[in-house]
Amino acid sequence: MSTAPTLARDDAVTVKPVGRPAWLLAPGIAWLFLFMIVPVGFMVVVSFWSSGYFGTQPDFTPKNYLKLFQSPLYTGQLLKTLRIGLEATLLSLVLSYPIAYFLSRASGTAKAILVLLLFLPFWASYVVRAFVWLPILGRNGVINSTLMSMGVIDTPIDGLLYNEGAVLVGLVYVYTLFMTLPIYMSIERIDKRLIEAATDLGARPFAVFREILLPLSWPGIVSGCIMVFLLTMSAYVTPQLLGGPKGIMYGNIIASQFLGNNDWAFGSALSVALVAIVMILFLLVGRRMKVEQVFTGGA
Amino acid sequence: MSTPAAALADRVRAGPPARRWDGYRIALWTYASVFFVFLYGPLVMIVCLSFNDSRIIGFPWRGFTTKWYEAVAQSEPLLAALANSLYVGAVAAVIATTLALLLALAFRHEFRGKRLVLYLIITPIIIPGIVGGIVLLIFFGYLGVRPSLFTTVLVAHVNWVLPFAFLTLYPRLHRFDRTLEEAAMDLGARDWQVFREIVFPIVRPGLVATAAFAFSLSFDEFIRTVFTVGAERTIPVQFYVLIVEELSPELPAMAVVVVLLTIVTSLAGFLFLRRADARA
Repeated sequence: MSTAPTLARDDAVTVKPVGRPAWLLAPGIAWLFLFMIVPVGFMVVVSFWSSGYFGTQPDFTPKNYLKLFQSPLYTGQLLKTLRIGLEATLLSLVLSYPIAYFLSRASGTAKAILVLLLFLPFWASYVVRAFVWLPILGRNGVINSTLMSMGVIDTPIDGLLYNEGAVLVGLVYVYTLFMTLPIYMSIERIDKRLIEAATDLGARPFAVFREILLPLSWPGIVSGCIMVFLLTMSAYVTPQLLGGPKGIMYGNIIASQFLGNNDWAFGSALSVALVAIVMILFLLVGRRMKVEQVFTGGA
Repeated sequence: MSTPAAALADRVRAGPPARRWDGYRIALWTYASVFFVFLYGPLVMIVCLSFNDSRIIGFPWRGFTTKWYEAVAQSEPLLAALANSLYVGAVAAVIATTLALLLALAFRHEFRGKRLVLYLIITPIIIPGIVGGIVLLIFFGYLGVRPSLFTTVLVAHVNWVLPFAFLTLYPRLHRFDRTLEEAAMDLGARDWQVFREIVFPIVRPGLVATAAFAFSLSFDEFIRTVFTVGAERTIPVQFYVLIVEELSPELPAMAVVVVLLTIVTSLAGFLFLRRADARA
């Protein structure tokens, strides 16, 4: 404790900020409690009910969860979605890191323009960004008609669309910014003199990457990976438009319980499982990082 | 002739030895070009297709036409969806920004359970979007609330944009100079007066920016909307329905219009934020 007189205002906590915290918090907490916490809790309850021909009835049965974990169809879809999520995450990481580094090395107006150029496509509606791959990969699409006019192929290739590969391309296209941005922000925070010093001392680029860039941009990598993985795990539009029967993902199976099958109880159980996966991921990361830092690139 | 010290200074000023990096720099630039082509290629493609005089979405090129844009401009459902998106976006932005402002004001105090409240605020981002829509579908379904723009969709949108509004507003509220506020309180001003006369004018640019940002998020929201939407569709939902129901030939033109609208709303939010920060 310092007893010396100080002029620093921050030390004198005599005047509290305006308002009483309880009153200020009440509306926001009430809203989130009523429209977020209660609905989520209710969904957990419904996941133990049973759905039948006459709608969803109150019950207390584990059968929805048993159906999920005992049927190879659903466990298979869950594993496939986890795999696609991981693939999309790794692909985004590999694609994004050099770009993040590239942007951080630019300076002045060029940098501002490049960053804006990176943002711009991601401000475009993501339904549109998933849709654009239809006329590119489709039977009459750009790739097929280009290849045919060049004489490379005689008949259109059907295999470009409606499979896992198309979904992967679409997911990476739609979500890569969520990887690029946190990595860029964490590289920006690295003291450039460290890199210069290492280079002056004769470190080769790969050594600079391994010894300086990688460890210091690690928080950005972690938050980018979490964001992209979470977004791809709950993807719906992209697999729905580009996946076809072979490329559907877990999100589509959840949706069909509500939009088609009317099996709300089972759909709730599927949703609870998805939320559980997300929570486990955050708990694992939460030991090293505050949750909100995930959204700010580790800042 | 330069002294050794000056030569050293020159070398320092010249930065790291450039030659060894050259290969990497070329590779980096090449890669960056490829990456930006990957980003923009599909969008440029869709602009081209939107002018193609063909009933099939794709190539070959059958001549230039603007008729798809005319079709879009005359499309009643699209114009109705645009109005719906604007309405719900504006109302959601105002509600979310107001709630976020109150929460951010509270977060300037110390209180018990602050971490817990923070977790509560960011819950809507952590919960996967599809689940965020479904919980409201079930909740309102059992409450007997019929899906419509200003009930279910509005709640879904406020849920979605509230965390972002808070995360945008909170740091800007936390770092402003409190001298005036403290002086006013010392002089015996009431809480409401302090807020209206001092705090609000200071944070107003940040509030406008936050509302614009919230609006742009709402405008582009799809997944939570699709599970809560009634007869009044928003722009992304309307676009999606047209893809799934009929791959109609004016889709590329509509895509271009939707992209321009979303870019304009997002850019506006971004510029407001930049301006608010420049003033602070």
